[in-house]
Amino acid sequence: MILAVAWRNIWRSKTRSLVILIAICLGLASGIFYMAFYKGMVDQRINTAIKTEASHIQIHHKNYLNNPDKKFLIANTDSVVKVIQSIPGVKATTSRIIMNTMIQSPTTGSGVKVTGIVPKDEKNVTNLYTKLIEGSYFDNGKRNPIIIGKKLAEKLKVKMKSKVVVTLQDMQGNMTGAAFKIVGIFETSNTAFDENCVFVRKSDLSRVMAMNPNSSHEIAVLLDRNDELKTVDQSLKSKLPNLDVKTWREIMPEVSLVESSFGLTMVIFIGIILLALLFGIINTMLMAVLERTKELGMLMAIGMNKARVFTMILLETVMLSLFGGFCGILLGWALNLYFGVKGIDLGAWSAAYKSMGFDTLVYTKLSLSISLEVAGMVVITGIIASIYPAMKALKLKPAEAIRIDM
Amino acid sequence: MRTNLKLAWRNIWRNRRRTIITVASIFFGVLLSTFMTSMQEGTYSKMIDNVVGFYSGYIQIHHPEYWDNKTIDYTFAPSDSLIQTLNNTPDITSFVPRLESFTLMSYGNNTKGAALIGIDPEKENKMTNLSHWIEKGTYLKSGDDGILLAVNLAKNLDVNVGDTLVLISQGYHGASAAALFPVRGILKFPAPTMNNLGGYIDIKAAQNFFSVPNKYTSLVLMVNDYSNVSKAKRHLVAQLGDHYEVMTWDEMDPLTKNMIDADRSGAYITKGILYALVGFGIFGTIIMMIAERRKEMGIMVAIGMQKSRLSKILFYETSLIGFVGVFAGFAISFPLILYLVYHPIPLTGETAKAYEQFGFEAAMYFSAKWFIFARQALIIFIITMIVYLYPLVKTYNLKLTKALHS
Repeated sequence: MILAVAWRNIWRSKTRSLVILIAICLGLASGIFYMAFYKGMVDQRINTAIKTEASHIQIHHKNYLNNPDKKFLIANTDSVVKVIQSIPGVKATTSRIIMNTMIQSPTTGSGVKVTGIVPKDEKNVTNLYTKLIEGSYFDNGKRNPIIIGKKLAEKLKVKMKSKVVVTLQDMQGNMTGAAFKIVGIFETSNTAFDENCVFVRKSDLSRVMAMNPNSSHEIAVLLDRNDELKTVDQSLKSKLPNLDVKTWREIMPEVSLVESSFGLTMVIFIGIILLALLFGIINTMLMAVLERTKELGMLMAIGMNKARVFTMILLETVMLSLFGGFCGILLGWALNLYFGVKGIDLGAWSAAYKSMGFDTLVYTKLSLSISLEVAGMVVITGIIASIYPAMKALKLKPAEAIRIDM
Repeated sequence: MRTNLKLAWRNIWRNRRRTIITVASIFFGVLLSTFMTSMQEGTYSKMIDNVVGFYSGYIQIHHPEYWDNKTIDYTFAPSDSLIQTLNNTPDITSFVPRLESFTLMSYGNNTKGAALIGIDPEKENKMTNLSHWIEKGTYLKSGDDGILLAVNLAKNLDVNVGDTLVLISQGYHGASAAALFPVRGILKFPAPTMNNLGGYIDIKAAQNFFSVPNKYTSLVLMVNDYSNVSKAKRHLVAQLGDHYEVMTWDEMDPLTKNMIDADRSGAYITKGILYALVGFGIFGTIIMMIAERRKEMGIMVAIGMQKSRLSKILFYETSLIGFVGVFAGFAISFPLILYLVYHPIPLTGETAKAYEQFGFEAAMYFSAKWFIFARQALIIFIITMIVYLYPLVKTYNLKLTKALHS
């Protein structure tokens, strides 16, 4: 009964209710959509971090991450790999040798991170091979092939089949160098990665460095699902106590921060929107109460008790907010679904985001739970907004209110 | 005009509560937005200061081919006319020469790739205050034959003050460069990325090492104020023509510029939504105001008030509400921001770590530049102008007979 009365009351002043409804609807739609956009961007960044850069878990010698020096090796790679693969949830592993050193072309040189990989294992762990824009992924058996990023190729002024020289110190401390032939050029969404990382075969690098072929600097582990990260991390830590086991969150804290701050950023963002809407709703409802002073007085005079008057105002406010909120969330979802398929081009901001490792085509993404949370926040906002106008209504003295001249 | 203003002022206070709620929503929007903008600008200028003050300077002059290749082959000997031009450009406060390239540094069995920077110890110290960051040992004297190392590099090489390093690199036109340098001091910068950077030696020693007597890779310029950078650049380009390459800090370090751009784009959206909602709040109030005063306006027009004057009064009312909100916002935000400019909020935890990873000190900085406030006032003014369209149309379409009977 009161519900129906409240609903009809909302529509007695159509313009006023529509203005606030549109405000709520647009506010929430833009909020939800921005959230979906941001979530899509963050997810894509994490995806790149795991699939291309860090994998789920990395294993190093205890001292390696503090001081990435060639001498901090994992000596018996094969047996460590066996241990890792015995753990459920592990999808694939790959071992690498990493050297930070200098690469030179006939024209110029640059400091780079040279990674020696086992191509067939690496293919199962990282998706670098899908990022090749020219050449192939160590397909033929020729000596000393190298794959470099597009950005670095431009810097060094080299093309496919050019030769580059990598200078490094071997395990005995002698300076040595080797010529590598470019067999592939890759381009990822992260320009810094493209400029600083080059890949060679692990067997070539360990030969040049006079290193035991069974040792490596890094073992990267890919899991079936990201949810298993914690359990696998823990069992690896207990099974490999002498090695340093780190998840991608620890290896790339800046990406992890983007992910962990996402929730808080969004709550603040929606909070700001709702706070701004709160003023609008209070304003509208206050008007609605004040212009009905006479009518409310009459209702009380003929026996409507205070609880019901309060409930009526409360219901009007909450219904107004919920109706607007519902439209807003619906509109936000529609936009999200559309751009989830079509993607949003970052346009003018592309270069900026790309240099920080973000994709420039963002596919929006939204989880159902977060939209329900937003809906809950809308209801709470409605209740808070109703308190002041409802109190105003309660304070009316029926005898005075019915005599008021409107 | 005075009467109109007076009328408008009294009109808006006829319904005190409504005006206060509207003003409060503007107040809140302005407060939030000034804080956000102030924090952004403060952080940005801190980021720029870090980049510029520690290392790159506001402007650098290079050989035209240098930046794309970054090799020792593209050095230059500054002509007298270049020095004269620099001395005669009013915005340029100082300039220092540098000669830098990539080297491999060896000590014992450790070898690291790092940047080697030849500096004029005294001039450099005046500009970037380099000696301030000496943690151990002493700063370079003019004509010194030693080297200063960044702290992490020294740790990774396992060297201490007094030890002698072997440096190997490529000199002019492929000449081999190798020399011994005793470590004079260890540098510890507040920006963590700088601590891996490399070593500083005297510029004369660097010129000998790379076999480029009397040549530099860059002249680093300081400008009296950030806002004069592009002006100074234009002046220099006009004077120097294409004999030299003139680059500003943001061209040399696009990552910082990109981070600022990306952050700004996100903030624009948040502020845009916020102001749109504030706009709806004002709109709602104005609609109410017009609706309940239709009869009154009808009477005023009937007794001879021109419609133009009526709409003028409504214009004053709309803008007055806007300005009262803006000034109320400033009254709170201005003193608070002024305080925070001198007392930045320190950060802790994961956020702090991420800040340090990017090379910034972990604190929230604020800025009190005039445009932060001017912009809010302008935005609110534009919003009220848009909202004013409604009463403008309403008054001119006022049907006297209908209005009198409402």
